[in-house]
Amino acid sequence: MGHAAFWTVRRRDNLVGYLLVAPQLLGSALFVLLPLALVGWYSLHEWNVLAGTFEFTGGDNYAKLLADPGVREALAATGLFSLGLVVLNLGLALLLAVLLNQRLRGTTFFRTLFFSPVVVSLVAWTIVWQFLLQADGGLNGLLEVAGVTGPNWLRGEGTAMLSVIIVQVLKNVGLNMVLFLAALQGVPAQLYEAAQLDGAGAWRRFARITLPLISPTVLLTSIITVVGSLQVFAQIAVLTQGGPGTSTTVLVYYLYQQAFQFHHFGYGATLSVLLFAIVAVLTIVQWRMRRRWVFHEA
Amino acid sequence: MRRRVKLLLYGTLLVLCVPFVFPTWWMVTSSLKPIREIFAFPPSLLPGTWDFSAYAKVFELQPFAGQYLNSLYIALVVTAGTMAVAAMAGYAFARIRFPGQNALFVVVLLGLLIPSEVTIVPLFQMFHGLGLTDTHWPLIVVPILGAPSVLATFIMRQFFVSLPGELEEAARVDGLGRFGTFYRVALPLARPALGAVAIFTFLHSWNLYLEPIVYLSTPARFTLPQALTQFVDAYGGPMWNVQLAAASMTALPVLVVFVLAQRQFIEGLAHTGLKG
Amino acid sequence: MIKKSLTGLALAGLLATTACGGSAQPAPAAAKGLRMTIWTSNEAHLKLFGDIAAEYTRAHPEAGPITFDPLPFESYTTTLTTQIAGGNAPDLAWILESAAPDFVSSGALAPLDGKLTEAGDLTPSSTKLWQRDGKLYAYPFSTSPFAVFVNTDLLKKAGQKPPAKGWTWEQAVASAAAVAAKEGKAGLVVRDFDYKNWDNLASLWRGWGAQAWSEDGRTCGFNQPEMVEAMTFLHKAVFTDKALPGPGTTADFFAGEAAMTITQISRASLLKDATFGWDLVPLPTGPKGEYSVIGQAGIGVFAKSPNKDAATDFLAFFSNPANSAKLAAYFPPPRASQLNVETLAKSNPLLKPEQLSEVVIGGIESGVVKPSHTGQAELSQTVRAALDPLWLPGADVKAVLDGVCAKIQPMLGA
Repeated sequence: MGHAAFWTVRRRDNLVGYLLVAPQLLGSALFVLLPLALVGWYSLHEWNVLAGTFEFTGGDNYAKLLADPGVREALAATGLFSLGLVVLNLGLALLLAVLLNQRLRGTTFFRTLFFSPVVVSLVAWTIVWQFLLQADGGLNGLLEVAGVTGPNWLRGEGTAMLSVIIVQVLKNVGLNMVLFLAALQGVPAQLYEAAQLDGAGAWRRFARITLPLISPTVLLTSIITVVGSLQVFAQIAVLTQGGPGTSTTVLVYYLYQQAFQFHHFGYGATLSVLLFAIVAVLTIVQWRMRRRWVFHEA
Repeated sequence: MRRRVKLLLYGTLLVLCVPFVFPTWWMVTSSLKPIREIFAFPPSLLPGTWDFSAYAKVFELQPFAGQYLNSLYIALVVTAGTMAVAAMAGYAFARIRFPGQNALFVVVLLGLLIPSEVTIVPLFQMFHGLGLTDTHWPLIVVPILGAPSVLATFIMRQFFVSLPGELEEAARVDGLGRFGTFYRVALPLARPALGAVAIFTFLHSWNLYLEPIVYLSTPARFTLPQALTQFVDAYGGPMWNVQLAAASMTALPVLVVFVLAQRQFIEGLAHTGLKG
Repeated sequence: MIKKSLTGLALAGLLATTACGGSAQPAPAAAKGLRMTIWTSNEAHLKLFGDIAAEYTRAHPEAGPITFDPLPFESYTTTLTTQIAGGNAPDLAWILESAAPDFVSSGALAPLDGKLTEAGDLTPSSTKLWQRDGKLYAYPFSTSPFAVFVNTDLLKKAGQKPPAKGWTWEQAVASAAAVAAKEGKAGLVVRDFDYKNWDNLASLWRGWGAQAWSEDGRTCGFNQPEMVEAMTFLHKAVFTDKALPGPGTTADFFAGEAAMTITQISRASLLKDATFGWDLVPLPTGPKGEYSVIGQAGIGVFAKSPNKDAATDFLAFFSNPANSAKLAAYFPPPRASQLNVETLAKSNPLLKPEQLSEVVIGGIESGVVKPSHTGQAELSQTVRAALDPLWLPGADVKAVLDGVCAKIQPMLGA
């Protein structure tokens, strides 16, 4: 009697629940939490790879982080990069989605074109842009044909940052465009018709109807885009190597330099903890904002 | 729609699509030019001399065919594995009320926040301890169970949340247990979401760059992004047309598949439930 | 619950292994065979190495298969160190001269004294960088002087005289500028510099007696008058005379796109299928007269390798006089007995005897090694970032160089 009573429907349900999430949880524990803990552990040490020493230094690395001008520069570069990227990406995605949402022939064709960089390999895309952005590369060659002398894109402090941002935006904006397009198509046409009858102009309709109704999508894509922007590495590694000077050395690239180029693995681990903290805070803040920014139907 | 507005729209679209299309165009045409022509001023839109030798060179310099297969089979296995893991976890988080569910979901979501550069050294040590470096195991197991699959779980959960409750009640009435409900009822309905997951996951695995560089040391085991960066040599010259040929071969097939299946591609993405 | 304790166990287990002996790397598993990391994937090089290895394996089958593992040159030291950090160190590795101080002083390499054949034959100048406390830690298998390859066809077309012995930097820049102006090709290219790898500029600034830092490595040399003069000369040559291609412009001498290039003579193999006439001449003389700059590469054995003895034995074989002569085809040897025209000519068919004697042998004997220092990676990157403002048309040379010293002086004190 006791046996059968134990496995109630409730308990069986719970068991299935645990079993179904088990692989993902196990993976998270092994490949996310454990490495994270280890990274935290490394950050408390001075690790000289060549000499093979691993000394406990407690909070020394964190003190170094607070005093390091390189960190401040990296944070500034990261802020600039992420801000530029998010604004440009979301703005362009929205613009493209609006353009493609019109009743025109051939929008599917354009949709394919705008989406195509998403499926091209990241390394291939970056290598191609590296050629195009050389002082004597394809882009300046095209500009020359139009009679304009292009700047040395990757070697000027401002233009290098701009170049990296644009290369990244062009690669991924297609994804956000598609998501916005789907959201736009989910807005009931009657709302627009009613507004038009009331005399609302195109801009007003956009601001009062479209934006609020696609705001859940905007929020989610902005979270994903912000988090993604903090992880951009390959483009900077291939195009500018953090230069000129340190103008494009964003935090994740600074981390790579410290850990893998200068072999300060302990300090690199400390920077990893900082990066993780920033990502976590930004995500939580954005998620909390959803009450304010996202339109909820009554 | 007024004619002028139409023209304006088409014009804008045409201008806007140039930076999206030109790089791919340039990549393919330059791979067919002799090296000197690649940097010629003014740049030629089409090769002046059609030179296919770079493509042959790609296979000579690297075991490129093998590397292609490596990238392909790894991506396929990872995609299949992720779809399974994410569907199961996503369903459970969405539809089963089990104790600790919310806390566990947050724990899983942590994976979304962590850049791979942060965890690569400890992960490498783990796999080295198991003697699995220079194999494909880290490139398969970590994406399926670790951070990259968390987005997939998130998408599946969003989708399953949007399913009406009546479906499950109906299934229960039919005598299906919880697992049966998942497998027989919910999963078949999840095709659009699964499609999106498949696309994301395949692309992510196909493009992995840091991980193969860290784990793999035998050229025969390399994956494509890694192989792409190997076409430069200290004592040789830079081999730009070869590099671009390899890059074209990496990008084009995926592009072609995309063009052919683009409706499913894009509509699968649109239905991820990311609309909120 | 179970998950938590499993995690705890795994974590404890890993920490236990890492805490052992104060080292953070898991002990490498003893594997059969030897692995040597290199930075070339040149077919001819690989074939030569393979042949040498095959001969060794025939005589010593117990050593197992010997593999040569090419790592990308640009990130070679970084990749090697990452392998070591992850517990995946090779048995032997090529080491750049710039990384020599770090590797040699770290204790990571096993001393080679008494293990190499005919070690007395190694010239003192070649081994200086690889020694510490009187012990040799790596075999300097390649000492490659910097020299100038010139495209005689291009020079003739631009109406320029080919360089003669004792030519000066002013003459070099003038010829280069003329070619750039008349033929639209690049004049002089400092190969591998690309406005990023500044240590290659040593091939220029030594002519002014400048140096990156003092002999003892403690004082910054960038803001000294000699360096300021040298850099001012370079800046003018790039931005005013347009004798050198500017930043972001590519020109490959070996593809016929430049009139001259400064590089190491090991690049001579690229001229095998040259479509133009060429010559090899010593570096131009600067205000301080003749000078020579050399790059070096060493092969070291890792002390922690489980195959340390077998690896050292193989290195002794790889570096013995017979193989050294074979390697001389691409890598000028450190052996005094082989630093003569006959040996080098046998295996270096592309270079003429005068070129070999003037450029190669002369260069090696009197050459100064490219800059190197402990903490090289971070130092080098800091200099690079601090020098970036110099590569703009209106740059204030003195101010930029002062900035470089301000940034690196704290690092040099160590």
